[in-house]
Amino acid sequence: MKKEFILPKTLEELWEARAVHPRGALLAGGTDLLVRIRAGRADSQALISLDRIPDLRGISTGDGEIFIGPATTHQQLLDDYSVQKHLPLLRQSVEVLGSPQVRHMGTLGGNICTASPAGDTLPALYVLGARLDLRSPQGCRTVPIKEFIEGPGKTVLRKDEILSGIRVPMPDPGFRAGYHKVGQRKAMAIAVVSMACQVWINDHGTVGRIRLGWGSVGPTVKTLPEVEKFLEGRPLSLEVLREAGQMVSKGVTPIDDVRAGAAYRRLVAGRILLRLLDLLRKEVF
Amino acid sequence: MKIHFRLNGSDIAIETDPCRRVVDILREDLGLTGTKESCGSGECGACTILVDGESRLSCLMVAGQISGRKITTIEGLVSQGEMHPVQKAFVDHGAVQCGFCTPGMVLAAVDLLRRNPHPGRQEIRRGLSGNICRCTGYQKIVDAVEAASRDTGDKE
Amino acid sequence: MENQIPVIGRSQPRFDAKAKVSGTERYAADYYPPGMLWGAVKYSDHAHARLKKVDTSGAKEVPGVVAVLTCEDVAGANRVGIPPRPDQPVLADEKVRHRGDPVALVLAESKEALAAALDLISIDYEVLPAVFDSQEALMPGAPLVHSENENNILHKGKILKGSAKEALKECAAVVEATFRLPRQEHAYLETEAGVAWVEEDGTLVMIVSTQTPHRDRMEVAHALGLPPGRVRIMAPYLGGGFGGKDGISVQCFLGLGALHSGGRPVKIWNSREDSFLSSTKRHPATVTIKLGCGADGALQALCCRLFLDTGAYASLGGPVLTLALEHAGGVYRIPHVDIEGYCVYTNNPVSGAFRGFGATQALAALEQAVDMLAVKAGLDPLVFRLKNALRRGEESACGPLRTYSTGIASCLKTIMDHPLWLEVRSWEKDAPPFKRRGVGVAAVLQGVGYGPVVPDYANAKIELLEDGRIRVYSGVTDMGQGNASTYLQIAGDILSQRFGDMEAVQPDTARTLPSGSSSASRTTFTYGNALIKAAGLLRERILQRASLMLMGAAYTELALLPGRVRHIPSGRDLPLGLIASMLDSSEKVCVYSYVAPVARDIAGIDENFRNMGYPHLIFSYGAHLARIEIDEITGEVTVKSYLACTDAGRVLNPQAYEQQVHGGIVQSLGYTLFEDFQVQKGEILTTGLATYILPTAVDVPDLLSIAVQEEEENGPYGMKGLGEVCANATFPAVANAAARAAGRRIFEGPLTAERILEVLAEEHKGE
Ligand SMILES: Cc1cc2nc3c(=O)[nH]c(=O)nc-3n(C[C@H](O)[C@H](O)[C@H](O)COP(=O)(O)OP(=O)(O)OC[C@H]3O[C@@H](n4cnc5c(N)ncnc54)[C@H](O)[C@@H]3O)c2cc1C
Ligand code: FES
Ligand code: FES
Repeated sequence: MKKEFILPKTLEELWEARAVHPRGALLAGGTDLLVRIRAGRADSQALISLDRIPDLRGISTGDGEIFIGPATTHQQLLDDYSVQKHLPLLRQSVEVLGSPQVRHMGTLGGNICTASPAGDTLPALYVLGARLDLRSPQGCRTVPIKEFIEGPGKTVLRKDEILSGIRVPMPDPGFRAGYHKVGQRKAMAIAVVSMACQVWINDHGTVGRIRLGWGSVGPTVKTLPEVEKFLEGRPLSLEVLREAGQMVSKGVTPIDDVRAGAAYRRLVAGRILLRLLDLLRKEVF
Repeated sequence: MKIHFRLNGSDIAIETDPCRRVVDILREDLGLTGTKESCGSGECGACTILVDGESRLSCLMVAGQISGRKITTIEGLVSQGEMHPVQKAFVDHGAVQCGFCTPGMVLAAVDLLRRNPHPGRQEIRRGLSGNICRCTGYQKIVDAVEAASRDTGDKE
Repeated sequence: MENQIPVIGRSQPRFDAKAKVSGTERYAADYYPPGMLWGAVKYSDHAHARLKKVDTSGAKEVPGVVAVLTCEDVAGANRVGIPPRPDQPVLADEKVRHRGDPVALVLAESKEALAAALDLISIDYEVLPAVFDSQEALMPGAPLVHSENENNILHKGKILKGSAKEALKECAAVVEATFRLPRQEHAYLETEAGVAWVEEDGTLVMIVSTQTPHRDRMEVAHALGLPPGRVRIMAPYLGGGFGGKDGISVQCFLGLGALHSGGRPVKIWNSREDSFLSSTKRHPATVTIKLGCGADGALQALCCRLFLDTGAYASLGGPVLTLALEHAGGVYRIPHVDIEGYCVYTNNPVSGAFRGFGATQALAALEQAVDMLAVKAGLDPLVFRLKNALRRGEESACGPLRTYSTGIASCLKTIMDHPLWLEVRSWEKDAPPFKRRGVGVAAVLQGVGYGPVVPDYANAKIELLEDGRIRVYSGVTDMGQGNASTYLQIAGDILSQRFGDMEAVQPDTARTLPSGSSSASRTTFTYGNALIKAAGLLRERILQRASLMLMGAAYTELALLPGRVRHIPSGRDLPLGLIASMLDSSEKVCVYSYVAPVARDIAGIDENFRNMGYPHLIFSYGAHLARIEIDEITGEVTVKSYLACTDAGRVLNPQAYEQQVHGGIVQSLGYTLFEDFQVQKGEILTTGLATYILPTAVDVPDLLSIAVQEEEENGPYGMKGLGEVCANATFPAVANAAARAAGRRIFEGPLTAERILEVLAEEHKGE
């Protein structure tokens, strides 16, 4: 039952490897896949590494968007200037993902394809309106992340496709960003509730535009357009945020698990909006 | 499959199953038992090694992935009988109790100081947050890393 | 460091640190003998079931599998544990009693073959009704975990003094509450591990991660049907223990495997998941307390009912309950007590020894009740504690007179005078938005050693080697606490030798002498006392022989220096190697046997209760203060500052002392805030480190430790045990702080963000 290991250096070699091993698994950082294999929750006949394909790595800017190769590690995102400058929300979400070692190994593509309800980069990528390139030997299609993830561990990726790029539109300037994660401890924690927020405040102190996304309170990232609408045009005051928080608590659909109960997640998903009061004092990008 | 890589400063080639875990290769095949395993699933940091200078978990890596890479294990930090300044600081500052977390902790600290030669105590704590220690309560480890940063940082 | 002569009382690095930090120290897990086989265990699929058939045929056919063993292959008693209830099978025979019960042992060439074979063992069960709650297990008609017993009680005990029920009626203030303490996993970094082989002469040898090599030897021999003399056990440095390696873990599997391996060595190293499944835990406890004081604030009466869930087997449940009861009255004088406890079998994971040994749970409850009573009586919690704190010579709530050092008052006073306490009001008021602040204190103690019946002895052995170096044969496992280094420190101090001139042999039943377990806050106290004498003897022999070699020089003219004896008047040096060559082999080794003193009999103690360790004579004390902040939005707790004042007698090595204090506090911060080994209907929910949450470096603050150095006249250099007392105060101190910050108390641990937010939300409902 020996597994094969393939280390393709180009996309062509990758397609070839996949043709030879149709039941092989793509291995990016391995921080998810190898844990699942060890636990008997995943199996594969071969490991096909994405580590050495230059086309799948790196970050570039152009056409009003930032293009991120899926095999870019979390640490590389943290070290990248354009991410620091334009995507502080993504950066914040990666800063609190796993541990230093996990960030050195794990990749953005891996986090997306794992499609965990608790995946830390996902609320940020939803809020940022990321689009994903899905490539096969036959060609490439681009889908919004919202449509890519169907449920826990479920994506629209076809058998012959890979995630080949993450396209994040450059946000209009003048925003503030915050990723707020609640875990069972202060580091190396899986989110029990998380919220990503990007907000543009008007000159008169009311919300111009706001985008919010919650993790760990439903099968996929939860967005609540009615809450965003409610906040737009209003100041981020305690009363307003409390009221919005109640809408959030009603809108999310968490479950109980070993980490926390649904009632707690529901409550915190709403209360965590109060963190936006801090955001007003934060840097404007 | 034959896998070539650099281990603690020497080029080596081993014949192995490329899907074998790196921690097993180091401990079982190469006798480098300084790299520990405690959870096998990324949660404790005991198996930390440096890959091209960057701290990674050898329990979540397979042999094929290290092909062509530079690997440093705890044994490789000692050069010509001299301990690395971080190791010395761990000894002097009482950062070692049972010692089972220590190799991983030391390597995580070496990576941390490479990125940030003068971290504050909170930054040190964050930099070591992937390494569980059940004995020390972390404080003396933080003391040691702080001291090592004082002793080595200026030279860089 | 090698060049230093250790000095008692001064901070110095541990001599074991260098090899550990270099990765060269070899733990039990690090041995891979040539030709070895891997062993692993097939565990039960049910919490309680009769075994109908164990079919190993499929597993045996897996290529690379060498043996699949069941209880039929165990030649001895197939039982481990300590008297009076050695009730734990090596491999399940008639029944399985919890999910971690081992059914079969597989030996294979590779880990892959092992895993495949484990999957192919098919077991036919008759599932039996099970019981998962200690109080339900006491009800009439509850399923019996051990059918041969009349009920599920492993052990019960009572401490009665005065008439507590009547006295409570007279009290000016009384509080009553029930506290639930969670099951805690030791989570030492080195999971259970070892290697074993059979020597040509038939001796079974193993190198294994254990706190109790000498006791293991007897247990392994008995369980496997070998003469104890044919079993040799070596315990190298442990990658942590904390009580979880106090007794048999993989020893019998290793032995059984080695006896059936066709002469090849066998290695077992539990995965984290198997470790969680099969190892012992801290007893989950339910403690109900009624506590009352008079109008003057003097404690008058305590009623306490304590239930410990001991899981499927006895392990050390009996002594744990006994210590829980003995410590249930805390550090106070209380004239009337009525304390009663039960240690109860269930079909849950086995509970056993864990740092604090039952005292932790009892004190977590009592010290919260004390705070509640202080609030009710309108007294400052520190003043209240100090007023009631024991002084030397007084009678404690639960035991005999405190005849020896009793430093709790000094600990409390140190906190009282500390800025962290003095400035607490303003600090609490300065809480940032959406944060609430609170401070809490707790006062605790821990008995040192085994108690009156089980002889608490150590046999120190020290040798002058041919080359003039000194070798200390450590009888007590070093699981990380650093006792081996302390032994060298003691020997070096007495013999004026540098660390580099000495070596320590780790416990080995063939070389070191039985000296009891590495537990009960006794490792330095008991062995240290023995070693002082043994080293003194050796010093005397060295000087005596030197004197002879110098044709009768007076001792006053001789100085023992590193590696030599100097004749001061002449300046002439005699190397220790030369002196060694002049000693008979019977003189080079000095042995001394020390037995710790025990409390005088007090009338009316149940014999069984005495056997289990009641009462202790010498206690260490501690008072801790915690400042915490609660996040109102999420309920998360952050410990902002922490102060520990400890009376563990004189400090031998401040660095090593702090190590224990820090480690004990942080392990207990985990217990207080996140650690909850969740089991539902016998099924473990927290199966590994992804769901069983341990504190990381960012979850804890810098800690302040102050040693209140009251000399203990029985202790080596005036010290007493430290390893456990430092772990007892954290839960109640933080819980008291949280109650203050939240305005309400949480009666069930751990104090997770979820539980905190729940009580905060209740408050809003009330508005
Ligand atoms: C200790 C620990 C802590 C963690 N903490 C967190 C945390 O706090 N937050 C969090 O979000 N996650 C966490 N994780 C999970 C994991 O680290 C992340 O999800 C990480 O981003 C996964 O990336 P990877 O490259 O390692 O994925 P891999 O394990 O390599 O791959 C994951 C899955 O995605 C598939 N895949 C990867 N890349 C592609 C691609 N380009 N195209 C198609 N399929 C692909 C793989 O086949 C596999 O099925 C943690 C993991 C560990 C071990
Ligand atoms: S053993 Fe690799 S992280 Fe725990
Ligand atoms: S020193 Fe024992 S786990 Fe860190």
